Formats: sequence, structure tokens, C-alpha cells
Amino acid sequence: MNSAELLFAITQYWLIIGGVVAALFLVVGIDRIDEDARGAYVFRPLLIPGILLIWPIVLWRWWSLESGSYDPESRYKPVRAAHKVIALGMFIAVVGITSIGLSVRQQWPADYVPQKLSEPVEASE
Amino acid sequence: MSVKYIPVQWNNNKYYYDAFMLAGVVGFLWFFLHVSPEVLSHERPINPQVHNARAFGACAFLMLSIILAIGPLARLDRRFMALLYNRRHFGVMTACVAMTHAGYILNWYWAFSSSNKYEALLFSNTSFGQFAGFPFEIFGIVALICLLVLAATSHDFWLRFLGAPLWKRVHYLIYIAYISVVAHVSLGILQDQQNHVFTAIFLVSAIVVAGLHVLAVLHERKAGDPAGAVNTEGWVTVCKPDDIVEARARIAVLPNGDRVAVFRLEGKLSAISNACSHQNGPLGEGKVIRCLVTCPWHGYQYRLTDGQSPAPFTEKIPTYRLAIQDGVIMVDPDANPPGTYVEPVEIPS
Amino acid sequence: MKTDTTPFFVGYFKVPKKLRKFLLSAGILLVACLTVFGLLIGSTQDDPGNGAFRFDYGRQTVTGVIENLPYPLLHVTEGNDRIKAGETLMLAAGGKMGVMARTSGFSGQQIVASGVLLERGDLNMLQLRGGRQGLRMAEGDGTEMIWEPPVSEPLGRWRIAGEICDGKCLAGAMRPGRGLAHKACANLCLIGDIPPVFVSSQPIEGTEYLMVVDKDGGPLPKAAYDYVAQFISLEGEIERHGDILVLKMDADTIEVLP
Repeated sequence: MNSAELLFAITQYWLIIGGVVAALFLVVGIDRIDEDARGAYVFRPLLIPGILLIWPIVLWRWWSLESGSYDPESRYKPVRAAHKVIALGMFIAVVGITSIGLSVRQQWPADYVPQKLSEPVEASE
Repeated sequence: MSVKYIPVQWNNNKYYYDAFMLAGVVGFLWFFLHVSPEVLSHERPINPQVHNARAFGACAFLMLSIILAIGPLARLDRRFMALLYNRRHFGVMTACVAMTHAGYILNWYWAFSSSNKYEALLFSNTSFGQFAGFPFEIFGIVALICLLVLAATSHDFWLRFLGAPLWKRVHYLIYIAYISVVAHVSLGILQDQQNHVFTAIFLVSAIVVAGLHVLAVLHERKAGDPAGAVNTEGWVTVCKPDDIVEARARIAVLPNGDRVAVFRLEGKLSAISNACSHQNGPLGEGKVIRCLVTCPWHGYQYRLTDGQSPAPFTEKIPTYRLAIQDGVIMVDPDANPPGTYVEPVEIPS
Repeated sequence: MKTDTTPFFVGYFKVPKKLRKFLLSAGILLVACLTVFGLLIGSTQDDPGNGAFRFDYGRQTVTGVIENLPYPLLHVTEGNDRIKAGETLMLAAGGKMGVMARTSGFSGQQIVASGVLLERGDLNMLQLRGGRQGLRMAEGDGTEMIWEPPVSEPLGRWRIAGEICDGKCLAGAMRPGRGLAHKACANLCLIGDIPPVFVSSQPIEGTEYLMVVDKDGGPLPKAAYDYVAQFISLEGEIERHGDILVLKMDADTIEVLP
């Protein structure tokens, strides 16, 4: 199995497990951990793509809510400090990447004249 | 703010917003695909699959640039804050456009071979050791996965389920997506294109988006929320009561990094957490409307006295104890549990 | 006490008058910008070249002799209105597949080939139909099967500049069918044994398209894949086979051009 096949297989399994988690969570879990979801069914299919993609986070949060290890106060700690780092990082990345892109751009060598280096060896009798 | 979740929330303003957005996207694609071939003087046309892929790809890039510009613009000029509302519809639309681009590309360049097209996408080019000729498709895949995660977790359920801080962290993927898209274009079509109109639009957009973010940071440094001084009892200075405009607030940064918003309403003061429980929007930049603090981002509302949303809503935020000492507002930096009642403090006349 | 002057608005309120004009202009600007950009970007797409599947010629059936180099060449001995006797065609199967395996048993033999022509300037390729309908032994009394392979004419060692492409996309299976944005697709074609073609910066002995093989006459060397679709210069022996030039590339001499 080459690495492309491996990555493709991992992706497939990821989505299959995600499907199982989605089924469990939307049928059983969601009613247990979110009272606003009780009696609301139409919106649930909308959550399936998200669960397929980030099911480990879903499981982890589900578990932390069920087990009571989730700290409700943590909701009010906004992540603001990261803005500075992200803004500067993005600026450097964008300028850097576009500069690299422009600097490796090639021009079609229209002026390059093919050069004959040597005559054929006369051996084909 | 939903009591029971529904699939999509709409109101008149959202309809206008979505109508403008759709008109822009349809305008872009229609002119790209149907008007421009008339103008091109190609002996033979570009394959429709590639033409479509380019149209959708360029459209997704521009949409992503616009979305990313709204945030810093709103911090530089408050009027843009109105565009933050409903930005998620814009984001979901962008993910759809990007997905269409990927579909055209995948079903063209990696179709028609005896290999599985997804595997072929990964193994056909392995020149990882060079810039020119680097398999730039990888960046496109990364960006697409990010956009799909963002679109798929945009429902309010996810905010409540994950909590705003974790949700925000997940949604920082937008920056990874944008950097990846810039790399995808820079090492992809930018290398090929002989006509530089798209190159110019691409470079200007990317630099503007990145530049706006830096400007917003600089602006925040200059005009950001002040850190309050701490007195001997550990309470934090905010400002004088008269510095606060009626029905508005002043924000102070507490020693632990949290922010408190002190509101003034009808001669009384109340202090609540500056972070809205929905997306941690800055409540202190909001306004009291009919006795309810209203978040400037999405309009979530809380009572000033106890930080609770009015029934039937159930959101709660922490409150703070406050006092006026020598004509200055002081706040106890230890937050009360969300929803705790605090008697408003009367401003001495 | 200060008074409140900044308009306050969230999405579910009625838009205040002060803000209405601003938001309306922002919306119109958005639509106008996107539309203008759509037209601008769309109308400045590069010309993808004039290669194409010639379905308009109809199905071509010719008789000829296979030479495996190892990519097969078909030397036409009995042509039709379109393809004359004496012409040389590169061959491919449908999709991203070459026909090396199918032609290996027919070396030097007279066969009947049938399929659709791909054409770009003086680059010609025949996409064979599947199975025996595409490629079969020519029927006859056996006398015409004795065939002298056309003399390959060595043209010496050259240093040339240009781009390695997959012959099929280049010939018109895809438009555009070359360039770095198309590199992964070209690689996939080459992995599928589509004959590689070198596009030279300037014509060599009358043609700018050369079929590429390894310096020892094997298929495209692994080392060449990293340079596909890049502008490079390289050395190699050039031979004429029929009316096609074949470059026996020396991968050690590749230089990436600025």
C-alpha cells in the first residue's frame, strides 16, 4: 500500500467512524446534553457533515458534558490574544508565499536556440 | 438565541444580505463564463471543465477575501459591524463555491485514468522538494477541508455545544484556509498565467486582507480597552461615572485578562462580563435597549442586573460587584457565577 | 454627561437611516466589484493552444507498421484521405492510458489501427479504439507483411530548451494541456504510459515536438518527473524515426531555466 492509498483509506475510515458517531449523537446524545435540542428534529441532519469531520471533538465534548468535567465558566474566556499573532503571522505568510510564487515564475525560453553538440556517430551500417 | 433549534434562521435583513451576496456571485460567474468567451479570441476554446473550475476557484478566492476583510474593517470602522451579522451565510456559500471548483478539477485532471481519482490526486505529483512544480493541489485540499469544517460547524448548535472559545479556536481555521489558498494560487495558476490581470487582482486582494488585519491590530493597540489600575483591596479602577454615555458602557481589562463592561442606565451602574455567551462578542461595545444589554455582533440580550437573557431564552453571563470610591468606579475582579443578581449602584448626584 | 451619537444596529433591527445608505453602497459595491472582476478575469484567460480531438474528421483507419521505442510509433504504409502513407503517428488508448502493452507483440508487424486523431500543428496522435477494433494484424497473403523498418536517422547530440509534456493532453486531449497548473495531470498520463513529448523553444530540423525516451532507449526516466511542465534545458541524442524526432534524454544534464 503506498501513502496515497493509505491516506485515502484513513479518510474513508474517518468518515465511517464519523457516521457511527453522528448516528449515536443525534439519536441519543444530543437530547441528553442540550435541552434546546429536545423536540427539535428538523435541524439535526444539518449537523451530520460537522460530526463526520470533527467527530473526535464531538465525542470529547459529549463526554466532558456527561461526566461533568466541563467547566461552564470557560465559556466566558474569549480567545482574543491570538488575534495579534494571527494577524502578523498571516501578513508574513501572505507576503512570503506570494514573493516565492513570483520569484520562481519562469519565462518561456523563446530565444533559446537549440545547439547541436556533436555529429552523429557513423555506426549504423 | 433560538429556543428550539431550527435549520436556518432568516429575517428581512438576512434576505437582503443573501440577495446581495448571491447577486455578486451570480454576476461574477455569469460574466466569467458567458460573456467573456465572446471577448476571448482563442482559436479553440478552453475546455468547459477548466473554464468552470477557474471561474469557481477565482470566485471562491474573492469571496474568502471579502469575508476575511469584514472582521478587521469592523474593528476599524464600526459601521462595518453590520456586515458581521449573517457572515456565516457568506461562509457557507463560499464553501459551496470552493467545493464546486474542486469537483470540476478532480473530475477532469484525475479522471480518465485506471487509478482511483482521489488516490491519483495524492500520488500523481510528488515533487515536494521544489517550489515551482510543487504539488500545489495539497494546499487546495487543506483549504477546502478547513472551509468545509467551518461551514459544517456554523449552526448555532455548535456554538452552544462547543462553547464560544473552542468554537472560535476551530474557526481560526479560516486563517489556515486563506494562507493555503494563497499558496495554492501562488504555486499553481500564478506560475502558468501569461496574462497578469488575475495575478494583479490576486496579489492586491491578498495584501489588502493581510494588511487590514495588521491595521486592526495597530488600531487595537492605540484605541483598545484600557487595563484598569488595581487598588490596595485588589479592586480595579474603571473610570468616572460621567465618562460613560447613557445606555452604553466602558470596558476595562482585569488583571487576569478578562474584560468587564460597566454600563450606565438611568443614573445607575452595573458591571457584567464583556464576553457574550454566544460568540464572546464585545458586550461593552453594545447598547442597552429596553433595559437589555444588546450584543453588537448578533444582538443577544441580557438583563443588566443579573446577566440573564429574558425568558424564554436561557443564556447567562457572569456579573461583577462594583462600587464608587472617591468619584471613581471600582470593580471586584472576581466574577460572580453567571446569572448572579447584583444591585445596580446609584451614581451620586 | 456625554450623549450617544453612534448609531447602533444589529441584524434583526430595522436599519437606521444613517446606516442604510452606507450598507446599500457596500452591497452595490460588492455586486459591482464581483461582476467587473468576473468579466475582467474571464476575458483575460490565456489561449490554450490549438490542439484538439478531430472528431470532425471521423474515425480514421490506416494500415501501418509498429515500432516500439518503447512508446509505439505507427509508420503508415497504407493511408487514407487524411493520413498519407509515409506519415508517422504516436499512439494512445482512451483516457490516460498508453498502448505499450497492447503493441508489444506487434513490433515490426503490419497492423490495422483505428481510432480518432488528435492534432496540434505537426503533432499527430491516434487514440485507438478498444480491443481488436483498435489494433489488429493486417490480413493478406503474407507477402506484404515482410517489412523493412524505416531507417532511423541519427541527428547527433543536442542541447535544447523547452518543456516535457504528456503527448496526449498536449496534442489536444485537454486545453490547456501543458504548464505547471496541469503538471499533476501530465504526470498521471505519463505514469499511464502516454508518450512524453518535449516542446522545444525553437524548431529542430523542422519540428518543435520531440517524443522523449530515456538515454538507453527505455521509457521516460523517473528523474524526469520532477521536471515535467517546467522550463528546462537538457542534452540528448536526437534521432529521426519516420517523420517524428525522438529525443533520448540524458536526465543528468537537466537544468531548470530562470
